Amino acid sequence: MSAVATPARERIGRLETIWEERPGFLGWLTTVDHKRIGLLFFFTSVAFFVAGGIEALTIRTQLAEPSSTVVGPKTFNELMTMHGTTMIFLFVVPMGLGAFGNYLVPLMVGARDLAFPRLNALSYWIFLASGLFIYVGLAIGQGPDQGWFSYVPLALKRFDPGYGVDFYALGLIFNGMSTTATSINLVTTIFKLRAPGMSLNRMPLFCYAQLAAAGSALFLIPPLTVDLVLLELQRKAGFHFFDVGGGGSPLLWQHLFWLFGHPEVYLIVLPAFGITTSIIPTFAKRKMIAAPLVALAELLVAFIGFGVWAHHMFSTGMPNSAMVFFAAATFMVVIPSTIQIYAWLFTVTLGRPEFRTPLLFVGAFIVFFVIGGLSGIMFAAVPFDQATTDTYFVVAHFHFIIFGAAVFPILGGMFYWFPKVTGRLYHEGWAKAAFWLTFWGTALTFFPMHIVGLLGMPRRVYTYPGGLGWDAYNLSETIGAFVLTAGLLLIAANLLVSRVRGAPAGNNPFGGPTLEWATTSPPPPYNFAVIPTVRSEYPGWDDEALAEDERRLRLGVGTLEQGHEQPETTVRDGFADDVVEMPSESGWPIVIAFLLTIVFALTLTSHYVAAGAFVGLAGLAAWVWLWKEPAE
Amino acid sequence: MSVRPEAVAVPAARRSQARGWWGVALLVATEGTLFGTIVGTYFYLRFKSAQWPPEGTPEPAVVVPLVLAGVLLATSAPMQLALAAGRTGRARAAQLFLLVALVVQSGYLAMQIHLFADDVRAHPPSANAYASVKDLLLGADHAHVAVGLAVTLFLLAKLADGRVTGYRRVALQCGAFYWHFVNVLTVVVTLVQISPRLG
Repeated sequence: MSAVATPARERIGRLETIWEERPGFLGWLTTVDHKRIGLLFFFTSVAFFVAGGIEALTIRTQLAEPSSTVVGPKTFNELMTMHGTTMIFLFVVPMGLGAFGNYLVPLMVGARDLAFPRLNALSYWIFLASGLFIYVGLAIGQGPDQGWFSYVPLALKRFDPGYGVDFYALGLIFNGMSTTATSINLVTTIFKLRAPGMSLNRMPLFCYAQLAAAGSALFLIPPLTVDLVLLELQRKAGFHFFDVGGGGSPLLWQHLFWLFGHPEVYLIVLPAFGITTSIIPTFAKRKMIAAPLVALAELLVAFIGFGVWAHHMFSTGMPNSAMVFFAAATFMVVIPSTIQIYAWLFTVTLGRPEFRTPLLFVGAFIVFFVIGGLSGIMFAAVPFDQATTDTYFVVAHFHFIIFGAAVFPILGGMFYWFPKVTGRLYHEGWAKAAFWLTFWGTALTFFPMHIVGLLGMPRRVYTYPGGLGWDAYNLSETIGAFVLTAGLLLIAANLLVSRVRGAPAGNNPFGGPTLEWATTSPPPPYNFAVIPTVRSEYPGWDDEALAEDERRLRLGVGTLEQGHEQPETTVRDGFADDVVEMPSESGWPIVIAFLLTIVFALTLTSHYVAAGAFVGLAGLAAWVWLWKEPAE
Repeated sequence: MSVRPEAVAVPAARRSQARGWWGVALLVATEGTLFGTIVGTYFYLRFKSAQWPPEGTPEPAVVVPLVLAGVLLATSAPMQLALAAGRTGRARAAQLFLLVALVVQSGYLAMQIHLFADDVRAHPPSANAYASVKDLLLGADHAHVAVGLAVTLFLLAKLADGRVTGYRRVALQCGAFYWHFVNVLTVVVTLVQISPRLG
């Protein structure tokens, strides 16, 4: 911006001083900037993805040929459990909400930070601590080995006496606190911090997807938390919830777990839907078709998702009426998903699509989502479900959904927003090569699992005998896994090299329509020098609004340069309602996360009084944190 | 808040709830789900049992829990009055109402913990699923009352200098909201707890 007039430059300078955070390593520990916290979430969940990926490769190496002895049954069970737990709780969810939601939602709604910046920092540190907590178990030879779903009675003390299940259960209760805090933050930001003028019908579909995901998280984490608390009370204090002898029921575990577990699938894919609805209009160069229907569909998927949990339990012996209800609900959830698929397809075909890497990933996502969705509704047919449950067919189905439909948009989103985050362009040729490797690697890894599952291969087995007709499929799955890994490594290499050597990106290299493209790349700490003017659903394509922002910056209207400030707006219409002082950097979040880690470690080792004392200390820290009032 | 020439134009009086209120509302939603899940667990276990409470475990008392829940519910009134006083800037009146609520809340909690400890000693939760889920429900409820107490104490301390700032007004609103929620929770938990005697 060479033509910036002197008063505008002065204003920007003032904003820089007000919003700047402490430099260096200490700055990262005390930061409350949603972009830096988003990056922390990103790199941490990538690190856990690497761990979960190594676990997956070891599993595939063991299963490459029959009667293999690369790892023994105990190690295999630990790898399988940690792979599932890591990918779900420590990678996809924190990546979708913590990294993408955190970084992009405030930018897309034209805000300067999330609604509760310090809570956001606390959420990150709790996430990091909970992940390390679970991995400490694995490191000291007490890794959980009962499967990520941790079914009782296997997970009870009698059958699993070590600390593995306790690391898992306490770690996930801890982890749930982070997801809850992030969700409260995202929903409040979407409701209250949208730029004046951004009424709900002008809000980007990405934010609807985040709203649906974060909103559903608030209702799906509690059943898991309760389930894990019941498990720990039974394991550690002799309560009776899951044993028939004491008046409990083992199926109670499964009901609560899947009441969490199935909506969790939508928590995983909804942010991916959001990424898709951001990428498609940009590269198809037209507005999303049926945008209001897509917004409603995103919310409906989350809602109906709460009524389908027992289709995970068709083989446990439920009443017919219950099975019919859950089968019907499972069919119903197809409707909003299909609305979205058609909207995406028509937007691409009716636009002028430019097949750059992000759009390729989104295209692959649609292919995989349709495959995984089709195998998914097959399970609504109860007899089919009962025949294929616990076989590799199920593994094939959910990997197409979780890897194909959730991770592919995440990979596409990494390319799409890379120029925004780093200010540099990635290498298009290498990115396309990496895409095709990843695409075929994924297909080769997971598609044969359908066949081998229908041939009867059970899941969760550490090895299998030869001569059953499974050998070639298993070998191809293993080869696929390594091809996929090569693709992922190529993506990482491309982004790392481009970070240093990529061409400068400018503010909006792809012509994106949402507000994150209206600010500089990377965005300044205050995101926007002027609270943006919003008059349509696509403010980035509204040249008059962008010119108006330039004019207002020169005049100093809506710059809020007197303090660490942000407008609050009304929920539905987005009318400006107040100007509020935003909290700035603080060391309390990391202190509280540290104290809570001690609480969980002491609970694990059954030092309950000491754990209670540390809860008190954390409470005191929260008191001090909240004591200091913002300037008025 | 006055409108400054360089600021975003905002009305003199807010038309919508502050973001703090939304934070508490969402916390209440997720915590309500948490309790809903425990209550669901209670009835799941109950309907799987031939006899509830099982042989050898006494039926729950009815009168004392109901009276105590009624007393606690009554504290919603001073909390609401404190909120109203805060809204009009009367810090001393707000403090007084908070103090009334705090005293009753503390008395309630002390009494409940006393009863709870006696009950756990006589019929430990490790006896059977009934005792397990009942004690979990009560324990979780008492913990929430304790958190509510801490919030009231915080508000009292914040108002000690006799001024009502914007931050404190929102804090009062959040505290009162959470407190009403705890009261509703306690009523529900009490009804669930005495449900074996209700039919």
